[in-house]
Amino acid sequence: MSLDDAQIVNVNPQQQSPDTLQNSSSHDGIQSKSWRASSVQEVGFVDFGSKSVPQGAESEGFSMSMSHREINNEDSRLVYVNDALKTNERFEFAGNSIRTAKYSVLSFLPRNLFEQFHRVAYIYFLIIAILNQLPQLAVFGRGASILPLSIVLLVTAVKDAYEDWRRHRSDRIENNRMSFVLVNDRFQQKKWKDIQVGEIIRFSANDTIPCDIVLLSTSDPTGVAYIQTINLDGESNLKTRYAKLETLSRVPEKDRMNGLIKCEKPNRNIYGFHATMEIDGKHLSLGPSNIVLRGCVLKNTNSAVGVAVYAGNETKAMLNSSGAPSKRSRLETRMNREIILLSVFLIALCTVVSVCAGVWLGRHRDDLDMLPFYRKMDYSEPVAENYNYSGFGMEILFTFLMSVIVFQIMIPISLYISMELVRVGQAYFMIRDDKMYDETSNSRFQCRALNINEDLGQIKYVFSDKTGTLTENKMEFKYASILGVDYSGEGTDFDGEQRGYCIQVNGQVWRPKMMVKVDKVLLRLSQTGNNMKANEQIYDFFLALAACNTIVPIVVDTSDPSEKLVDYQGESPDEQALVYAAAAYGFMLMERTSGHIVIDIQGERQRFNVLGMHEFDSDRKRMSVILGCPDGTVKVIVKGADSSMFKIIDKSRNLDVVRATESHLHSYSSIGLRTLVVGMRELGVPEFEQWQSSYETASTAVMGRVALLRKVAINLENNLNIVGASAIEDRLQMGVPEAIESLRKADIKVWVLTGDKQETAISIGYSSKLLTSNMSQVVINSNSKESCRKSLEDALITSRKFVVSGDPHAGGSGALIIDGTSLVYILDSELEEQLFQLANNCAVVLCCRVAPLQKAGIVALIKNRTDDMTLAIGDGANDVSMIQMADVGIGISGQEGRQAVMASDFAMGQFRFLVPLLLVHGHWNYQRMGYMILYNFYRNAVFVLVLFWYVLFTGFTLTTAVTEWSSVLYSVLYTSVPTIVVAILDKDLSRRSLLTYPQLYGAGQRQESYNAKLFWLTIADTLWQSIVVFFVPLFVYWKSDIDGSSLGDLWTLAVVFLVNVHLAMDVIRWSWISHASIWGSIIATCICVIIIDIIPMLPGYWAIFDLASKGSFWICLLGIQIAAIVPRFGIKMFIQHCKPSDIQIAREAEKFGNSMESRGAEIEMNPPRR
Amino acid sequence: MSNPATPMNANAPSSSSGGAGSPDSAPRRNSKRPKYSRFTQQELPACKPILTPKWVISAFMLVTIVFIPIGLASLFASRDVVEIIDRYDNACLQGSKSEKVQFIQSNANKTCVRSLTVRKRMKQPIYVYYQLDSFYQNHRRYVKSRSDSQLRNRGDENQTSDCKPENDANGMAIVPCGLVAWSLFNDTYSFSTGSNQQLPVNKRHISWKSDREDKFGSDVFPKNFQNGSLIGGGRLNESLPLSEQEDLIVWMRTAALPTFRKLYGKIEVDIEAGETINVRLENNYNTYSFSGKKKLVLSTTSWLGGKNNFIGIAYLAVGGLCLLLATTFTLIYLVKPRHLGDPTYLSWNRNPGGH
Repeated sequence: MSLDDAQIVNVNPQQQSPDTLQNSSSHDGIQSKSWRASSVQEVGFVDFGSKSVPQGAESEGFSMSMSHREINNEDSRLVYVNDALKTNERFEFAGNSIRTAKYSVLSFLPRNLFEQFHRVAYIYFLIIAILNQLPQLAVFGRGASILPLSIVLLVTAVKDAYEDWRRHRSDRIENNRMSFVLVNDRFQQKKWKDIQVGEIIRFSANDTIPCDIVLLSTSDPTGVAYIQTINLDGESNLKTRYAKLETLSRVPEKDRMNGLIKCEKPNRNIYGFHATMEIDGKHLSLGPSNIVLRGCVLKNTNSAVGVAVYAGNETKAMLNSSGAPSKRSRLETRMNREIILLSVFLIALCTVVSVCAGVWLGRHRDDLDMLPFYRKMDYSEPVAENYNYSGFGMEILFTFLMSVIVFQIMIPISLYISMELVRVGQAYFMIRDDKMYDETSNSRFQCRALNINEDLGQIKYVFSDKTGTLTENKMEFKYASILGVDYSGEGTDFDGEQRGYCIQVNGQVWRPKMMVKVDKVLLRLSQTGNNMKANEQIYDFFLALAACNTIVPIVVDTSDPSEKLVDYQGESPDEQALVYAAAAYGFMLMERTSGHIVIDIQGERQRFNVLGMHEFDSDRKRMSVILGCPDGTVKVIVKGADSSMFKIIDKSRNLDVVRATESHLHSYSSIGLRTLVVGMRELGVPEFEQWQSSYETASTAVMGRVALLRKVAINLENNLNIVGASAIEDRLQMGVPEAIESLRKADIKVWVLTGDKQETAISIGYSSKLLTSNMSQVVINSNSKESCRKSLEDALITSRKFVVSGDPHAGGSGALIIDGTSLVYILDSELEEQLFQLANNCAVVLCCRVAPLQKAGIVALIKNRTDDMTLAIGDGANDVSMIQMADVGIGISGQEGRQAVMASDFAMGQFRFLVPLLLVHGHWNYQRMGYMILYNFYRNAVFVLVLFWYVLFTGFTLTTAVTEWSSVLYSVLYTSVPTIVVAILDKDLSRRSLLTYPQLYGAGQRQESYNAKLFWLTIADTLWQSIVVFFVPLFVYWKSDIDGSSLGDLWTLAVVFLVNVHLAMDVIRWSWISHASIWGSIIATCICVIIIDIIPMLPGYWAIFDLASKGSFWICLLGIQIAAIVPRFGIKMFIQHCKPSDIQIAREAEKFGNSMESRGAEIEMNPPRR
Repeated sequence: MSNPATPMNANAPSSSSGGAGSPDSAPRRNSKRPKYSRFTQQELPACKPILTPKWVISAFMLVTIVFIPIGLASLFASRDVVEIIDRYDNACLQGSKSEKVQFIQSNANKTCVRSLTVRKRMKQPIYVYYQLDSFYQNHRRYVKSRSDSQLRNRGDENQTSDCKPENDANGMAIVPCGLVAWSLFNDTYSFSTGSNQQLPVNKRHISWKSDREDKFGSDVFPKNFQNGSLIGGGRLNESLPLSEQEDLIVWMRTAALPTFRKLYGKIEVDIEAGETINVRLENNYNTYSFSGKKKLVLSTTSWLGGKNNFIGIAYLAVGGLCLLLATTFTLIYLVKPRHLGDPTYLSWNRNPGGH
């Protein structure tokens, strides 16, 4: 499926009309609108905690209950189940055939041209070409003037056509896949493209879903279907979807199903769905857990039946297939400024020419009629009339326009195309870099945005998420604290004494897929039954771990038929870790359906009814499950973050336990572990009934269901008995400390923004070497604006000491640690400035407990106040805002889905790849691009200036001695390839040097490759070189019998040789490709010049041969090259010797390495200076 | 998936014998690991030249060594060229501008005699050029006003659209058409020595061979040429094909610069120093209306072409400059040596105080 292809799907206009009607509609319309608004927000910043809500599951039992708020008819789509005709009667809903291809055979030409001319560059080309077609302005012949534009258009069109052909092909494959569709009460195979909204479709296991469907029934008696959404969001774990109880028992072939689904209009929110179903007179509400989206795969379910509600381009998957964000690189922005300067030059040149032409015409006013070389009058008619003369003013205007045409390449339009090509080349190398390939996730580096490659070389700030970015987000259960006793595993034997708990089922051995290290003491206690109080607590604790979650156990076959593995699939890695831990201690979760769970407790299978579940949400920061135990009691088990749990734990009962647990939690989190607290209590019958009724009402409500459920949950979750706490280790990714060290050395500030607790954040800070022991920490935790202001002021004074104490490298620098609550008061207020200064004084900034939007706010804080480039890296949906805000956004394709990747400019597998990405590729990209831009300015300007000088000797009439074909081919063929090749392949330094001396990255931060000074130097050099190229032949051939074509050929060759020699002088690494391109261009130019000169129809016939037979030509050519290059060469050598740049020294060290190694090592041994 | 129908197995042994290696060790089938090649890893073998002081000085010295001899040789060559230039437009015709223009356009006899003194021995072949100053043969309107296809093919006679305003006369196409041909230079020169001995001028093969053979048709004859109301310059012998009209061929190679020479012919005898050459010229061509200058040039050649000191001077200048640079760099390297690749020069090592 080609989800990658950028495609914005147009909604059928017929279906839009109700939308416009809805503006005048009732309150219902407005409410549903506001629902949409919130759903949009959800897409943007889904908190990673709010796991998909199987609302349907809980509401199933109660869905008979009425009181549905109707979705407004105007704003909804009506789907008659199993009646496609009626469904499509009023509004023709989109069929299921998809079309990601942009063009058809007929529409290709006009549409492709239209799209191409959206670029300013092409419009400039076009205008110039059109101007040239006016007879008065015809500088070049038809062919020559259109050639460059047509080449560019053709190349792009071929590229587009190829891409579109591939899309056509994948569309065709996709559209012709088969599914079983109910036709005349029988399921028949039908092509995907023929499926219509309203039809009933059946799937078997491992089938891909052809369109968005509402589940009607599944092979599972409880109506559960497991789906994999890897095509949709990249998450490989299984998700559960539910069929409604009312439709579950229906057999579609036998009893005709007649129902009406009223659902919202197609939208892009893949996490939301909102509909009601009317079946047999009953109203059911449908939520996101009842819909299966196109592209998902049915897993572990034998079959499922559903009704199509959105098809084809209206499916959520198709609506979501949008392209990468478009950003413009810093270098390009700077470049555009210089391009404006170049246009000013261009206008100045044209003005000079037209003013001179005016003066010349004025001087010769009386002679113009008959001048042999002007001839204003045409005397061939009986009455002499003006020939090709439109008056003084018009002549000057025409001269101006003609000079624009002649000098058009002063504005290096081809540069934009070259840059695109170069970026594609650079992206190719970044993607192919095997140092940035991640083995564990089998993912390559991805370039999603193609136009900010060079920004990677100028990053000054890195904002990093913690979980999943610095850490692996592979949770491992470490310690437990139960009833105030810390089982932190002193007794654990780490030498492979991993406990493989397993059970026997039907003679087969089932064991958990993941092994967990266990604490021996706790293991023994957990096996001895639940008679003692402590043991009872241990029993409760592990029961809670096994039950209070949304994990689905999946049994996987192994190579050994007698052994099966239980794989715990779930959306939260923390929960997975806890369930695996429970299994290791003998509490093995075996089965989960919407109504019950089966847990194997020490070999004894027990069934618990799940009476209700309150999902995790980021406000409560906890989840709870209401279990009906085998012994008839009803328990509510709550699990959550310590801050939220201690509020609802009844401290009066077990104060010492609470205290002890608190201290354990503190010690856990100070070594960087993630902690959760478990609480539990029994529910009395009246309380249970009261809860149940309010739960039913809440979960069937259509409006504000989430808020109502939350209220019910808060009422229930109180007065809990503390059971214990768990500590999960989220291990640092490989190479993170080294990566951070490198980045710091490269003078990149690394800020960590995390939703974790302060202690956890600090401990991760230490283990990742972000914080060191000789740093002084400035901590800001404030609850009000005033205290914020005060602590900021104090901190500023302290922090100044770090700066004043001079040597920030000596290690006495500061680290700012600030929490989300304080940031609430600081961001978007006048305190921002103080925070910025404070952060600037500190070497490290750690923000903990920050909300997703605050992350973006912090990035904006830096972005708005400095010119420095920012980079944000994260893996979760909560990082999306930050990734989009930063200049460069990087997504880690890791455990937490793909939203971050979808929003990012680049995506990679591991945090440590940031080092090769920035220090190596970023550095190279920046150097190459910076040089290429300057070189392109030079290359075009030098040619234009040569043309300009000549114009001064032709009576200001824009004659070009250079043949028109050569002047057109100059930027297209003669000089274009080497600059692109060099910009893709040249390396100023090897990977090794760049990684050994991260400080070399500073060249990009200081903009050493492209700045105003370099620009002006280049222009000065250009001026000199053009003067040499033009005037040397002029003086040599002044008063000689040389003809225009010969001199033109000399200039052509001289300038092409010169710009290529100039490039050759700046090339650093000469591989065979650079040799081939540079010398090849020179040869190609000679061949072209020769070809042009062997056409007898052109005035310059044979000129090059006549020219080359004379010694003066060769002497001229040699003299020009040397005289033009000497100043540049001399200055370059002088600077290299007297003011060598770091890059220069490193390059020398690379080449004359041996003696340097020892010195280098010596330097390395010095204490780190930053 | 877990199967609820499975009968419960009450006594699952909680053996600790398990714990064998981690599952999922099967090799990944479609690894996306980029294929290693030196190209994709940007590690192609490459030469990384670094210009050490030795190389820099050698480069400058090399230029010096190459350029100074070439410069000297060019100067000597240029010195050996004997060149006689005689501006005759004003000498042959006095008066105000309008008088001159009137005269030149009349049918009066325009013969004029000039006498030139040879100061230095001129070895044959002596090239006879006419030089026009301020004649913009490179003027856009002029350059474009020609039809190369017409010159080459008899059949393309009527392709005269580019030739305006000299495209046809009395409805008939002009061959050769256009302003370039129309303004054909038509002064003529004949030379005799002081001893009244004729110096024959060889006018054969003064044009490019390629032009005669391929560019100007041997079956194309002039037609309607200079038949219009306005006469721009010389006439052509209508019985000769264009490929043999060498004056026209030379003229049609439009000059690159506003001051230019064109070959008139060659004198194929030596002329001794001190001799006088009498030139009898027909001063037909009108340069008076645009204040252009007409000059007659007699010149020998060297391997470098005509008399031109510029190449020599320029080469000497560049060579000298490079010598100067070579010395300067030698001094710099001696006075302020720098160990190449010495890390102590790195900016972060130079000033540990940081930026």
